[in-house]
Amino acid sequence: MNKLLNISIRFYSSKMMLILRDTLKMMFPIMLLGSFAEVIKGAFLTPTGFMATLFKITKWLPYNRDLAWIMGSIFHCTIDMIALYGAFGAAYYTAKVYGRKSAAAGAVGLLSFLIISFQLSDSGMPNFSPRLMSEGMLISLIVGYVCGRIMVKLVDVKKDELFQLIKPVAVVIVLSAIINMILGLVGRLEIPTYVASFVTQHTQINALLYVLGMGLLTNLLSWMAFGGPFTNSPSFGDNASLANMNAALKAGSAWNVPFKFTDTTLYHSFANFGGTGVVLAFIIAILLFSKKVNNRRVSKWSIFPAIFNNNYAMMLGIPILFNPIYLIPFLLAPLVNMILAAGLLALRWIPAAAYPVPAGTPGPLIAFIGTNGNWLALIFGVVLIVLDVLIYMPFVKLADQIIEEAGVADEEI
Amino acid sequence: MKKFNKWIWAATGVIISIILIVMSLQWSRNNVDDLMKWHNSKMSPVIMIPGSSATVNRFDTLVKKLNKGKSLKNQHSLLKVRVTNDDKLHVSGQIRQGDNEPIIVVGFENNHDGYSNIKQQARRFNIAFKALTSEYRFNNFKAIGHSNGGLIYTVFLENYYSSYSSKITIKRLMTIGSPYNFNEKSVEHKTQMLSDFIADRKNLPKSLDVYVVAGTQTYNSDGLVPLGSVVAGKYIYQGQVKHFTTISVSGSDAQHSDLPQNDQIIDLINRYILDRQQVPQNGRKNKQSVGKISQN
Repeated sequence: MNKLLNISIRFYSSKMMLILRDTLKMMFPIMLLGSFAEVIKGAFLTPTGFMATLFKITKWLPYNRDLAWIMGSIFHCTIDMIALYGAFGAAYYTAKVYGRKSAAAGAVGLLSFLIISFQLSDSGMPNFSPRLMSEGMLISLIVGYVCGRIMVKLVDVKKDELFQLIKPVAVVIVLSAIINMILGLVGRLEIPTYVASFVTQHTQINALLYVLGMGLLTNLLSWMAFGGPFTNSPSFGDNASLANMNAALKAGSAWNVPFKFTDTTLYHSFANFGGTGVVLAFIIAILLFSKKVNNRRVSKWSIFPAIFNNNYAMMLGIPILFNPIYLIPFLLAPLVNMILAAGLLALRWIPAAAYPVPAGTPGPLIAFIGTNGNWLALIFGVVLIVLDVLIYMPFVKLADQIIEEAGVADEEI
Repeated sequence: MKKFNKWIWAATGVIISIILIVMSLQWSRNNVDDLMKWHNSKMSPVIMIPGSSATVNRFDTLVKKLNKGKSLKNQHSLLKVRVTNDDKLHVSGQIRQGDNEPIIVVGFENNHDGYSNIKQQARRFNIAFKALTSEYRFNNFKAIGHSNGGLIYTVFLENYYSSYSSKITIKRLMTIGSPYNFNEKSVEHKTQMLSDFIADRKNLPKSLDVYVVAGTQTYNSDGLVPLGSVVAGKYIYQGQVKHFTTISVSGSDAQHSDLPQNDQIIDLINRYILDRQQVPQNGRKNKQSVGKISQN
């Protein structure tokens, strides 16, 4: 623990971390409101959303379509384009840290990322890769940082700045365009569908190990602000889920489904409370054990979106992203959950979650609805949250300590 | 005071959780019941769409002929749904209890010819289809479209069917004298409609069996629709769906409007579109014994 403390303190006071922290700080309020909009639209105002199906909101609420439209535009321009803000922020704060005029650097970072994610569209209108925009924040941070450094290197503060900017901008534009071309050539692997087919084609044990591994990978990538294989909510459209559902409907219960260990039955049902990394448990742990006012405030704001499995606010506000202290529980908690759930499934204590669940269903209720109201599944979910809170607890306390010591260290510099 | 606040928050949380749990349970039970009904449904209707200028009564003779010689238990009941211009449904007839293969006819108040009307009718068919699926909860059906009815089905399959495809399978489609290229004899001149159909053919379900039936009064027409326009259906369906068969029928009742009561076409419907009738137990025994005798 002491070693982790020292590494973290040193990491905290590095220039890179300073840039990152400032960038995330800038993004936090925007993404917090964005996540509110996403939850309100997805769970409350979409007919297939959780609150909408339970309370038939879309049937009786006047102007619900217009409201959904407003929420949709807020969501799409914030969380769905999160990487844009990352590119701007990283470039801006990099230039700032090195004492340059930073607004121009921010614009250049933005420009570079726009070029990288540009796609040709049939109509000839500008079109950007939605995948890069929403899941490519890691890339955007790197892009922003590099742009900031290029600006710092090629602009001399003592001379008139107007014409000096041409050189770095030209370098950035050309580099970005080349990267864009390479990305176009590489193409993209469709991992989620690959997961589904793997699960249906291999033995139960192999499938279990595979789902555990992919879940771990999802959490790790999500800690690095990069979309992983299981990022999205359960679709119930893949072959394994459909086969499970049909078997359950035929038999009248979910006890004997063909594929017990899938991303739906393990990951989405038990390891995703409050979003990746069981962030709901993290919030509870902070509210119970942390003494830092800032963290407590961020957590309180994050409760509402986290109930509906949206964790952006916590990722940016605490921040969890790139934070070495929280990496361990962030990976460990979901993994423990999945292993325990797999154990109970194998022992036939609980049935598999085979029935459809509305979008945005609060974490512990996913397994409950997915098993058509198995009480043990619900209780088990609550037990898991308690367990996860205990997993997070020591790290929350450690973080408090680090913030104190790093705060002192900052002042010394 | 602070402690008191905390308790209020905790109590609110618990109450909300209980409400959500109870509501979730209720919803889940209902939803699974619904899904089971749908999944275990044995009903597999034949849904027919008449052509332009025809009403929901268009297939009366055809249904009568299909039911001829069948015991009352095996007869197909007939349900008619008329969609008026205000998108309202008017239902007549009813589906007999225990009838697993009823015939449902969907007709339109606006039954005029022309591409824009056909698109309009397809949209209205979708309204009727949605109502039918939620009322009868079938998980598969067969389709027959006469004349423009076949075109309406094509629009429906390409533009609307995808939202049902995970739950409801269209098993077979028969279009009878459907002018896929309107009155054009040759596909050299593609109408806007045919071009659209071909452009969107990727949306057609891959598991579908399609039978395109053409009437031939002369060598190249059924008296109204050119043969070339009917068989142009191959540019839409062939290679996209599972099986594609073109059949041309001649002889008496091979004129365009007579096709739905043409005995040969009724035979085709019996053979290709309807599900195999479940032969009663002793009937099958009889057949087997007959087979044995002939073998001897």
